[in-house]
Amino acid sequence: MALVTAVRRLAQVSLREYSRRRTAVSCWGGWQAAERSFSTGLQPLRSDNKVMVHFVNRDGEKITVKGSPGDSLLDIVINEDLDFDGFGACEGTLACSTCHLIFDEDVYKKLGPVTDEEMDMLDLAYGLTETSRLGCQICLSKSLEGMVARVPESVTDIRQSKDGSS
Amino acid sequence: MAMLRRFPITCWKNFQVGLLNEQLVFLSRSLHKSAASEALEIPATAEEAMSGRLVQPAAAETDDKQSTVSETRIKSLTEMPGPNTLSNLIEFFWRDGFGRIHEIQLEHTKKYGKIFKSRFGPQLVVSIADRDLVAEVLRAEGVAPQRANMESWHEYRDMRGRATGLISAEGEEWLQMRSVLRQLIMRPRDVAVFSDDVNKVVDDLIKRVDCLRGQQSDGTSVMNVNDLFFKYAMEGVAAILYECRLGCLENNVPQKTQDYIAALNLMFSSFKTTMYAGAIPKWLRPIIPKPWEEFCASWDGLFKFSIIHVDNRFAEIKAQLQRGEEVKGGLLTHMLTTMEMSLEEIYANVTEMLLAGVDTTSFTLSWACYLLAQHPDVQEQIYAEVTQTLGPGTVPTADNVPRLPLIRGLVKETLSRLFPVLPGNGRITQDDLVVGGYFIPKGTQLALCHYSTSMDNENFASASEFQPDRWVRKEATDRVDNFGSIPFGYGIRSCIGRRIAELEMHLALTRLIQHFRIGVSPLTTEVKAKTHGLLCPGAPINLQFIGRENLTDSSL
Repeated sequence: MALVTAVRRLAQVSLREYSRRRTAVSCWGGWQAAERSFSTGLQPLRSDNKVMVHFVNRDGEKITVKGSPGDSLLDIVINEDLDFDGFGACEGTLACSTCHLIFDEDVYKKLGPVTDEEMDMLDLAYGLTETSRLGCQICLSKSLEGMVARVPESVTDIRQSKDGSS
Repeated sequence: MAMLRRFPITCWKNFQVGLLNEQLVFLSRSLHKSAASEALEIPATAEEAMSGRLVQPAAAETDDKQSTVSETRIKSLTEMPGPNTLSNLIEFFWRDGFGRIHEIQLEHTKKYGKIFKSRFGPQLVVSIADRDLVAEVLRAEGVAPQRANMESWHEYRDMRGRATGLISAEGEEWLQMRSVLRQLIMRPRDVAVFSDDVNKVVDDLIKRVDCLRGQQSDGTSVMNVNDLFFKYAMEGVAAILYECRLGCLENNVPQKTQDYIAALNLMFSSFKTTMYAGAIPKWLRPIIPKPWEEFCASWDGLFKFSIIHVDNRFAEIKAQLQRGEEVKGGLLTHMLTTMEMSLEEIYANVTEMLLAGVDTTSFTLSWACYLLAQHPDVQEQIYAEVTQTLGPGTVPTADNVPRLPLIRGLVKETLSRLFPVLPGNGRITQDDLVVGGYFIPKGTQLALCHYSTSMDNENFASASEFQPDRWVRKEATDRVDNFGSIPFGYGIRSCIGRRIAELEMHLALTRLIQHFRIGVSPLTTEVKAKTHGLLCPGAPINLQFIGRENLTDSSL
């Protein structure tokens, strides 16, 4: 129970952050802020030891950012204010699959074990591949330096592009 | 804890909406599991529909040349098939349709297809009984999805000066509470710390089974197992939600607790009927006052029960603080010390979680044991996995569950497939949508027909068979789940109590299987499901619990 309390305390911090941010930022920005502080709270921040990550967004653009070891990829997306529409809707609580990311096979193999809960959510992900993972479950480490994470086409994007073309 | 799970979306909808939705018709087609990626791809018709989500209906009217290119022509709701209003009324009021909602869902799906409309009084419901269309609807959700019209819930709360909880709240208010609560009880790793608390309740469950069977002349039978599991689930909810024990599973249940059990039992069962209170127009209340009165009385009872326990804990905390002691505790303590939500909001959420977390869990456990009893070979397979993984006598915790894939499969096969405790879920569209080729205007009540999709052979091979191993993955990339079976819902408004409910069920079932061989009692014939708000056993399930220690050791 002490652990629970500890975890909750972190959650609380994140929520405060969330409400603070929320007034100024859109809804999604708010959620993400909450997510960020939650995770960073669990891992000591080592700013001197950043890991470089390349995201490829839905338009195929490469965005290079840095994160601290222990941060999840969802944390980074939030911290860096990367604009991937609808990304991380459940704030990393394993209730959705909107932080779905696709990796190269060699990187995928280095990502660590997948939990049952993550696999269950991946099953419900749009555009699933054999090297898909949920960004909220991938923690950065030095061995992942320079990794590429591709944001799959989203349902929304399909809708928009078709709408646009019609 | 189950509470939690139910309380989210899924749950409720079914309640209130459910009734409207009753028709929940359901049904389905779609691909098969391993086709996760296909599922994602979405079959042509679906994809088209989706892409046309915001398409203006006008575009549709002109081209209806060929039915083969049906996706280019968006049809209107008036063209959607479905039972007529009168036959629907007869079905429900004269032919006890309310108890057969799940069957009607299947029948209507067969008759009208994967998407159809029905009217229940003034309420129009569009039922979606197709896995991929369900996926489309849920993936297109906004930040604060709405399940159903919760007007009667709000009316009660306004009348009594109470707050809304996660089930009844909407919009911004809902979002704020959800963001607090999901950080506490949604992550599997956060919920794993409840293992010890849950295991203490499981200890009592096993002892209680032992005691009950000893009271029968054959020394093995337990009559009406749902009664036992109701007490287990209630005790579990109390342990997590109120941070106290009620003694529901003791041989001599304290009088106070007996009163609680009786009152809650009554409330849960009357709730299911009074849910219809919301469907009865206000102007009819003077003529038919009973449903509304019972609805209010049920809520009064549920709130009272929760408030007593929350206040008890609050008083303890205050006393500890006054004595200068460190305050330690779990979920409730956290909520009361941080006050991220107001006290009224805590009352409301705890109450709604209580409503959501007891009988959902107990029905599922009853069905799971019933299925195990009917399939001794499957039971032996699971028993072998449990003994091989844990060794004899080890008390399982959340950490062991990943190595018990058949236990997870058992819960999924029971809850997700054969007896989805919520046979349908609801959504009110927050945008104009095109689903299945039909234009569905914003504000339409949708019924997502889980019962039909989970029983569809296209989604699950040999769908009517009990096969927990269909959920077991050979490797990490093996895909087994799909939108044909989402008992807890999906996404931002999915069941918040899901992980707690799963923990309660995994730990209880593992331990029961370790201790007993569960057999069919000669006193029970086939038990069918009945919809009574939730999908519940239509008759008492009586089972035999034969102590494993009495069996020959050949199985070890």
